[in-house]
Amino acid sequence: MKISRREFIRKMAALGFSSALTGTLFSLFACGPEEVPVTTSQPPVPPEPKLSPAPAPPVPTVSPSGGAYLAAARGESPADLVQTAVKALGGIERFVKPGNNVIIKPNICVAYHTYEYAATTNPEVVGTLVALCLGAGAKRVRVMDQPFGGTPQQAYAKSGIEEAVTAAGGQMEIMSNVKYRAATISEGRDITSWPVYGDVLNADVLINVPIAKHHSLARLTLGMKNLIGVVLNPGQLHFNLGQRIADLNSLVRPTLTIVDAVRILMNHGPTGGSLDDVKLANTVIASHDTVAADSYAATLFGLAGADIPAIRSGAQMVLGTMDLRSIKIEEINI
Amino acid sequence: MVQVLALLLFFYLLLGTLQGSTTVLPHDFFFRLDPLAGISAMIASRSWLMPMALGAIILLLAVTAGRAWCSWLCPLGTILDWVPSPRPRRDNLDIPSYWRQGKFFLLFTILLAAILGSLTLLILDPITLLFRTFSSVILPLLDLMIEVTETLLYRVGPLQPAVAWFDSLLRGIILTEQPFFLPNLLLLTLFAGVLGLNAVRPRFWCRYLCPLGGLLGLLSKVALIRYKVNNEKCISCRRCAITCHTGAIDPGQKFAADAAECTVCLDCVDICPTRAISFSPQLGLASPQPYDPRRRHLLVSLAGAAVGAVVLGVVPHLNRAEPGFIRPPGTDEKQLLSSCIRCGECAKVCPTGVIQPSASVGDWDGLWTPRLITRLGYCDYSCNSCGQVCPTGAIAKLSLDEKRLVPIGIARIDKTRCIPWAEGQQCIVCEEMCPVPQKAIWLHGGGRGRGRIADVLRPEVIPDLCIGCGICEYQCPVEGEAAIRVWPTAAPV
Repeated sequence: MKISRREFIRKMAALGFSSALTGTLFSLFACGPEEVPVTTSQPPVPPEPKLSPAPAPPVPTVSPSGGAYLAAARGESPADLVQTAVKALGGIERFVKPGNNVIIKPNICVAYHTYEYAATTNPEVVGTLVALCLGAGAKRVRVMDQPFGGTPQQAYAKSGIEEAVTAAGGQMEIMSNVKYRAATISEGRDITSWPVYGDVLNADVLINVPIAKHHSLARLTLGMKNLIGVVLNPGQLHFNLGQRIADLNSLVRPTLTIVDAVRILMNHGPTGGSLDDVKLANTVIASHDTVAADSYAATLFGLAGADIPAIRSGAQMVLGTMDLRSIKIEEINI
Repeated sequence: MVQVLALLLFFYLLLGTLQGSTTVLPHDFFFRLDPLAGISAMIASRSWLMPMALGAIILLLAVTAGRAWCSWLCPLGTILDWVPSPRPRRDNLDIPSYWRQGKFFLLFTILLAAILGSLTLLILDPITLLFRTFSSVILPLLDLMIEVTETLLYRVGPLQPAVAWFDSLLRGIILTEQPFFLPNLLLLTLFAGVLGLNAVRPRFWCRYLCPLGGLLGLLSKVALIRYKVNNEKCISCRRCAITCHTGAIDPGQKFAADAAECTVCLDCVDICPTRAISFSPQLGLASPQPYDPRRRHLLVSLAGAAVGAVVLGVVPHLNRAEPGFIRPPGTDEKQLLSSCIRCGECAKVCPTGVIQPSASVGDWDGLWTPRLITRLGYCDYSCNSCGQVCPTGAIAKLSLDEKRLVPIGIARIDKTRCIPWAEGQQCIVCEEMCPVPQKAIWLHGGGRGRGRIADVLRPEVIPDLCIGCGICEYQCPVEGEAAIRVWPTAAPV
């Protein structure tokens, strides 16, 4: 049956429009779990997830070469600190294999200030990590976070991280609503399910790069709390913040945590805004164990891991250790 | 075609009206060109508004080449040309009728209302109407449809990379953080009405209602270049009258055209089989028409404007009937009402969608002026875009540092609903989100800084530091109305 070009285009347009409209109507009246905004203090209860979360790749606690469990580097150049700390753990090759799909999750929570205000992760730290991963043969290195203050575009630019990542050969990703899915937290003691960014669960390597900051409720926001950036409805986590952060960390397990303590925010966190609250600690901490890295970072504030609710809960769930005396720590001054 | 280019430019500038983006021309270029909006705003605010002076170009165009704006540059006009309309029949041509007075009525009422200080009727300006409809109704609708379709398709594994790629192209341009705009149905109805009237006559809006067309039409009566028909060549085939988009050619007057109705599209020149029609310089006033405005029309408009002013003078929040509105930073309420041309630029550029067109029953004077609804969005601490895009300066151009110091409201906590105060459970999301460097919320039950968390932390607003940005209200996890809300600063304690 012959059909004119105009007729064809018209029919295709009508088909496309009506299917989009049908899809809209369908979804408006039959909401999926991902789109339901949480309006009670309970997290959304999803139907059986079709895909189970990807199992975390196994990372040995002690590297075959006898590398450190945790490394802390002190010095002037953030790039050198990152490279030194990672090397002390056994090198980036221990964590990133050729062909890997890598996601780096820094703290880009607000678009308000440049990195000197210690509200967002140091761009040089992030850039160096991107370069390291690509050097280890990673196929793709993406950097992302979901800011709560300001748009991602603004925050990526203002923090300086976009520039550093692009220069190093990585890609910034604007986290899309489409990619969140309800994930089961089987080891969760308070929450058993939460919407999590699908790509983070599917990545080969997740590198967690927080900046160490004061936080009124969490006391300090470090690596464990940094993972809040990959879930929806973070406000609902605050009702039992320490335990819920730990539960989240039992599901989303970074391959490597690098705590940016080049500058740390001593007060008025997590948003900052006053240089008086910033202290130059010139330190970078690295470990595969987020609980341990956070515990070490707490000492920079004069606190111990046990003082931080999330770290306590994490240690109780054996997600890591907060006993710094029981692990091999390498401290390097450059 | 010039028409298509002008329309594309309009949409390019509309889509480019985003926080921090630059476009080849200023975002508000079409509003600056709009002489009706410019004149009205200058009259109402009793001040010279430099950016709007660009409208003089279009006025100059009108006295040179008649209503050429309407056919060649007006984006609404171009759209109306494409909306289907009944083709005039040879025996039922539109003879210019007294309906055409409608646009003059509207024009006079707008100008008289402006003298009385009100710009509410500028919602009927064609440029503001088109911009607002697209930015507040059509783009959010597209956003919703695309996101829903994407979410559905994303569940199909093999399609995921394609969906992700498509999403990344649109994110930030069409897929924005702006949730929706409250009076969207009203806006859509108005726009649908304007388009729907094409079913009665082609370009119905342009012929009978458009106040900008009325303004340019009056000036066109002295236009230099005008329609001229050579009656010796004319064979009375009526093709010109059938083709004319605004029905300006009158067979009953030997195919003369009214200069105030002719939009200089030049289609008649092409269609005339004997080349009897031309556009050439002519001096002197165009011949009068039966529907030309007369003094009594002016008086009726004046009466209408006066009645309107009385009705508009009833302002609910000045009579304590409502709490009043939170306005963008850099506005003065009185100056806002007399300078805001209802263009919708501020609402479009706002990255969080907190700026909403006001459509509150009883507040007709402020209809479609910007107000902040801090439960739908928040005034972003990193943003000062609304003032940058406002064409009339109704919202002042503040630097980011200046804007951060301007309080637009004050937050107040309802301790009967706030989770720590009312239920003894931890929260303090409001304090966490507060962007002020010293934090405008302090917490009972534990020191600040490196203090101890002895019991549940309970928030308290520090009035001197709070700038009313509303991120606390926006993020408050309480269901429905937030437990911490921003109030206009003049509200009683």
